Amino acid sequence: MKKKVTVEDMARADLQLATLEPSCLMPLPPPYDGPNRIGELTEEQKARYEASLDGVIGVGVQKPQSPAEEEALCRNFLSGLRKLLTKENNWTFLQPLVHSLDYCVKCQLCSDSCPAYLASGKQEIYRPTFRPEVLRRIINKYVKKEGGLLRKLTSSDIELNFTLLARLEELAHRCTLCRRCAQVCPLGIDNALISREIRKLFSQEMGIAAKELHELGTVQQLKVGSSTGITPKALANIIAFMEDDMEEKTGRQIKIPVDKEGADVLLVHNAGEFLAWPENPEAFAILFDAMGIDWTLSSDLVGYDAVNYGIWYDDVQAARVAVRHAQAARRLKVKKIYVGECGHSHKALLVIADRILTGDLNIPRESFLPLMERFVTSGKARLDPSRNAFPVTLHDPCNMVRLMGIVEPQRKILRAICPDFREMTPHGVENYCCGGGSGFAIMQSMNFPDWRNAVSGRMKMKQVIEAFADKPDPGVKKYVCAPCSNCKGLLRDLITYHGAWEKSGIYYGGLVELVVNAMADLKKPYIDWEWH
Amino acid sequence: MSIFLAILTYFGYVFVVTMYTVKAVKYLRRPRHLRWDLYPVMHEERYRYGGSYFEEIGGAAGARKKHRLRGILFLLKEYVTMGEYFKRRKDYWLALYPWHIGFILIIAFHIFTFFAAVVMLSGIPVSGDSPFTAGRIFYYVVLFVGVVSFASGIVGSVGVAVKRLTAGDLRDYATPQNYFTYVFCLAVFASGFYAWYFVDPTFSEYRQFWVGLITGKPVTVAPAAVLHIVLFDLFLIYLPFTRSMHYITRIFAFLFIRWDDEPNLRGSRLEAQLVSQLGQRVTWAAPHIKSGGTWADQVES
Repeated sequence: MKKKVTVEDMARADLQLATLEPSCLMPLPPPYDGPNRIGELTEEQKARYEASLDGVIGVGVQKPQSPAEEEALCRNFLSGLRKLLTKENNWTFLQPLVHSLDYCVKCQLCSDSCPAYLASGKQEIYRPTFRPEVLRRIINKYVKKEGGLLRKLTSSDIELNFTLLARLEELAHRCTLCRRCAQVCPLGIDNALISREIRKLFSQEMGIAAKELHELGTVQQLKVGSSTGITPKALANIIAFMEDDMEEKTGRQIKIPVDKEGADVLLVHNAGEFLAWPENPEAFAILFDAMGIDWTLSSDLVGYDAVNYGIWYDDVQAARVAVRHAQAARRLKVKKIYVGECGHSHKALLVIADRILTGDLNIPRESFLPLMERFVTSGKARLDPSRNAFPVTLHDPCNMVRLMGIVEPQRKILRAICPDFREMTPHGVENYCCGGGSGFAIMQSMNFPDWRNAVSGRMKMKQVIEAFADKPDPGVKKYVCAPCSNCKGLLRDLITYHGAWEKSGIYYGGLVELVVNAMADLKKPYIDWEWH
Repeated sequence: MSIFLAILTYFGYVFVVTMYTVKAVKYLRRPRHLRWDLYPVMHEERYRYGGSYFEEIGGAAGARKKHRLRGILFLLKEYVTMGEYFKRRKDYWLALYPWHIGFILIIAFHIFTFFAAVVMLSGIPVSGDSPFTAGRIFYYVVLFVGVVSFASGIVGSVGVAVKRLTAGDLRDYATPQNYFTYVFCLAVFASGFYAWYFVDPTFSEYRQFWVGLITGKPVTVAPAAVLHIVLFDLFLIYLPFTRSMHYITRIFAFLFIRWDDEPNLRGSRLEAQLVSQLGQRVTWAAPHIKSGGTWADQVES
């Protein structure tokens, strides 16, 4: 029997609010029905960080060393909370935030749309309305300073202390910001946005953020050029390698243009691909070459890494990265920026940055998908679908699909080149997040990857298994197409964690690799099916 | 008594309209936020599957038609059907739906009664055997809408209270104010039903009360009707202190947040607005932020 957890319990230091026993998790179909355990934290980790939310540490808020330090943390939090509710400090999201705080009627219609809540076996703390209610009560008591009777009438009490604050920050990192909850709300409430705003408050006021997103993410990107640590010099070496690799795979000598001033198009690509999946940017180079596009990469700091982790936790960092991208394009005098296979970069540059970039920084920005669709469906490309005659399913990255409305181009491509394409259920704008959204795919803190693979990615794993249920034989190789770098990273982890390559022959990759694989004039297949 | 009743009624209406207007203006005057689209966007051509102009080459820059009416009709339909609740939580819908229909119809009842009174003042009798069509229409519409509103509201008020008390996920997040509201609503609807059934079965007295309000010559009504009128007036005064504004703000949220896909084009009014907002000063205190500088300064640092 699960413990009944209430919002007030957030401040109680004497109990852990959720225990993720394997038997509580949403079941997966056989042969994936074995127990999925989440690693225990060490005593040292527990002593150093607040971990009593669910026994998992994603951010790792350090425990204060003295009552004075705890008091300062609470004071700073309240100072940030007040700023979050002002138009000067938060014009960026004030209207949607206040709407969601003021008008949620807690009808819980959103609960069953949340994959983390469902996959966890409906742990109360993951309910989409839980964390907003914590924030709402803090605002009522400490910011609006509602008096005793009014507070009792309109909400229940809450105590602000370190335990609550640390748990709240962790809890804001148990939501992938997929916004499925918002999609079903008839009142337009967006509980995912509240998760984001909590993260923002901690980052912008208190300097507390997930290390992989801030220190190793945006800070490193702005300083070194990429959150991967790739410097412009290293980029040159990687590009030389990719050119050799393409020649070996295709027999063609294809040049990857860098810093070509006056090119029509600047391609910004997730730099993680250069390291983990070079076949993806190589496929872009092969296809752009086949299309005759006048394109270039940039070697400017930030210009060669499309990622923008700021959109998940910090408006200022998001703006800084977006401006650097636009500055790189302006310097090269390109007509347009294309964003490669990276979901959050799509949203960052095409949607979020759209109200940050003004004047000559407001350079046209587009997704690569319509262009690729036109290439594949125009009939000009010599494509042989029989080269992709294996089962293929499509993962819809939330950022591109539900949050941008790019739904059909990728499907038209797959229908044209993959004879055994099958949809997941549900799909399109109702898709489930891969489980790695909002930075989870790159957060590697302590036992957080276990939580991600067992809980936030569980629904996606279930969908993938079900999409290929008619062909369980591991000898039949299957392809999960994920046109997003972070989703791909999470799928890699999910397939590894659940042993899906060995059990069912499930592989993953991008979209452009499938297009190149179908090119009739290539002598050998482009997809190598080597698990790595 | 009749004067007190008239003043309370005038005050109730003026108060609720003023408070809602103030709240709506405050909501709408908040600065233009960053885009936070959520698809499907109903004014888009490709709304059926949730597609957007990002699916086209050059889509963001091109002129395009927005089907605003489709969006408005979608929102209005949700008022009438509460379709998301029906689709996802039918047991709750069974209580919520009559409750909300009760609200919508009680507002409609008062609007129709007001116009019935205007019609009466123009010399047209409002009754079942009125020689004028308008008189007969107003008679039956007011009667039907009023009775259905009271009956539906009673069922709904009891239903939502029971549902809030018995469903764990609803009960755990309920506040004392929720229950107070349910009881208050029940009192309003039940008093209306009682007054209709026992005192004023054709609402003729209530129409006369409205004639009195319009002409400034208040009339006396039966105690049961007084009770209902007082409760309803108090309810109007109470409404702005609840989350009831969601009837209106949900439209704002869809139109100005979820479906706000207006691209920022160079030289546009939107761009000028954004430039102004980027000039505002930031006081965030984290080490990586230049506290005291403008948003534009942050980007340059």
